Amino acid sequence: MGRRVAVVGAGMTKFVRRAQETGKELAWEAARAALDSCELTLKDVDAVCLTSGPDAFDGVHMKGEYLSDGAGAFGKPFIRTYVGGGSGVFTTIQGWYTVASGMFDVALIVAEEKMSSTQPHPQGAFLTIFDNVLERPLGPNLLWIFALEMNRYMSCYGLDKRDIATVAVKNKRNAADHPAALLGQSDITVEDVLASEVLAWPVQRLDVSPISDGAVALVVAAEGVAEKLTDKPVWIEGVGWNLDTAYWTNRDLVFPEYVQSAARMAYEMAGVREPRKEIHIAEPYDPFDYKELHHLEGLMLFDKGKAPEAARDGVLNRDGDLPSCPSGGLLGVGNPIAAAGLMKCAELFWQLRGEAGARQVPGTPERGVAQAWGDLMQVGTVVVMGVGGNRSGGGALAPLASPSPTPLREGPAPFSPQAPSPGLLPLIQTPPLAAGGRSLSDAEFRSAVGAVDDAVDARYSWDTGVAVSGFLRGLRAGKVLGRECRGCGRVLVPPRMFCEQCFRETDGWVEVESTGVVNTFSICHVSWDMQRLVVPELPAVIEIDGSDGGFLHRLGEVEPEDVHVGMKVEAVWKPVGERVGSILDIAYFRPGGGA
Amino acid sequence: MLEKLTQPDDVIRWQGDIPVRHRYTPGVAGEVFLTALRDRGAILGSRCQACAFTYAPARLFCERCFAELSADVEVGPGGTLGSFTIGFVGVEGEPLDVPVTLGLVKLDGADTLLLHFVVDAGDEVLEIGERVEVVLRPPQERTGSILDIRGFRLTEGFAEA
Repeated sequence: MGRRVAVVGAGMTKFVRRAQETGKELAWEAARAALDSCELTLKDVDAVCLTSGPDAFDGVHMKGEYLSDGAGAFGKPFIRTYVGGGSGVFTTIQGWYTVASGMFDVALIVAEEKMSSTQPHPQGAFLTIFDNVLERPLGPNLLWIFALEMNRYMSCYGLDKRDIATVAVKNKRNAADHPAALLGQSDITVEDVLASEVLAWPVQRLDVSPISDGAVALVVAAEGVAEKLTDKPVWIEGVGWNLDTAYWTNRDLVFPEYVQSAARMAYEMAGVREPRKEIHIAEPYDPFDYKELHHLEGLMLFDKGKAPEAARDGVLNRDGDLPSCPSGGLLGVGNPIAAAGLMKCAELFWQLRGEAGARQVPGTPERGVAQAWGDLMQVGTVVVMGVGGNRSGGGALAPLASPSPTPLREGPAPFSPQAPSPGLLPLIQTPPLAAGGRSLSDAEFRSAVGAVDDAVDARYSWDTGVAVSGFLRGLRAGKVLGRECRGCGRVLVPPRMFCEQCFRETDGWVEVESTGVVNTFSICHVSWDMQRLVVPELPAVIEIDGSDGGFLHRLGEVEPEDVHVGMKVEAVWKPVGERVGSILDIAYFRPGGGA
Repeated sequence: MLEKLTQPDDVIRWQGDIPVRHRYTPGVAGEVFLTALRDRGAILGSRCQACAFTYAPARLFCERCFAELSADVEVGPGGTLGSFTIGFVGVEGEPLDVPVTLGLVKLDGADTLLLHFVVDAGDEVLEIGERVEVVLRPPQERTGSILDIRGFRLTEGFAEA
């Protein structure tokens, strides 16, 4: 399994709604804080691992190269990895294999996200994660998939929204103790969450993490080197990552199989046989409150459908049996996407060293798990970190010494042209090392000297391809077509010319029914740029009768309160003369279709 | 597995875009650089003493050693043409009525190159190594933009070898 690898330093910026710093300046603040924390300089770094979210957030293509100088990559081996929201935790895995391979002794890991540049709303950058031909014409927004997954999760297990809301409360309260947090709030209540604006039922505003700017960095080192750099190395004991099918309407969203697969891989490597006993802290990915619970189940820390009652009973609190997101998570600290995932690994580093200050979980936790999730609800990334236990060789830990003073910048930065604003510095003297992340108000953002407004004037013409153009020709003729795979016996809808499970050519076209069952649905009150809709939309995943799949569409001729999971529906076709070979040749699905 | 298309009508396409615009703020160092350019017509750089290297425009940090920098040196307005090109077509491939000349210039006191237009060159033939100087817009026209510099124009002579 290569050499053992430890985290020896960590740093982060404040997470803010809009940072004054450029993306590369944010990356530098975090990277320098991480190096300072273990008293290294850039000369000591052998290789640099970077992650950042979609280029469309920053509006900078080749974002890896753009950020490279701030990440410390000048003249060094360097690569950016990217697995959507899973990127932040994945970059720790990247750092692990970079060093475990034996090629490099010390690697710097940097995660940056600057979402505030995107206008009118960062959701615009997410729209192309939906299938260009079969889903985007329906006018989806990112909230839809979360709302659809959350509804499926709640409906299948009969969950109480109130129990789920306790996660948002816990995390925002925990974040009140985090010096880098954007949305810490010590007095928030479940009633506040349940009374917040409904965005896409069952998702309400306080169920969701905030758009943010920020950066986080770690320093990792090989066994033999790490012990010389710090008295308290935190070992990367296990790593795992896994991807499910991109056909998200073809799998049951109630349980994240890919997280479980990634967790199995990481636990096996770490020698963890009983995660519920051997994991002392969890930092599961929490962009929405229900996701933390969903992921705790994927991590096998709770039975399926049982994490919400653990949240209700306080098990997940900082002083509970399994502290979950003691940092405050994405819901409280903020969600600069790639950086937020790496923040979870940084939190384990501080917690396992006993350096988390007011956030410190009681006792002497020895092992934690961090997890992130992303792409089209399909990727799981998992890291197990620990300070003791099943270590193979390497000798005993050196006796704990008092932490060495950390070199920190005093006073306002030389570049600060005006008096410090409330968001400007005060550097934190204890971990986490929050440097940078100077908050710009909305007015400052609008009036910033030298700001440039721009649009990438690119339009696209997507070929629908062999399988989907056949599907669209079928819709034009009033038929729903699938492709049969005799390898696994499935009828694939949407159709594809190859089966992604068997990796063989599919065998032929099959006409399936234009009726189906509502697998999950949402009642969405906002557009993709977060404008309030007069008439709510009813997106739904429809399981198509006669197939093993289904697709995203809208419901009509039904009142929102009458829709339920499992409802029989039938396609309402546009008149023949209006059909053009589009997913919109089906106007919507309405209740009906027999049984 | 790939089916041969026999009817052009079989090709179904879907048109779309990515509906985002961007507002780029210049950052900590960029704000200082652009403010000085607008207000004083000064071109600020950052000197890293440890690396004996001067960046222009100014930067918050040295990418070579990670030291924090300030906008502590003024560079130019004279400089040396490091390279140039003359563009005859626009971004869509359309011919330009007036060709545009772009130069990479090492401003006096800087170790980095700055990209900008070469202006007022008339029919003169450019040569790498020629001396140039910054041409600023009048103070009342400056907005805090790299375009507060109109470009570089040729001056007499060549850089000393």
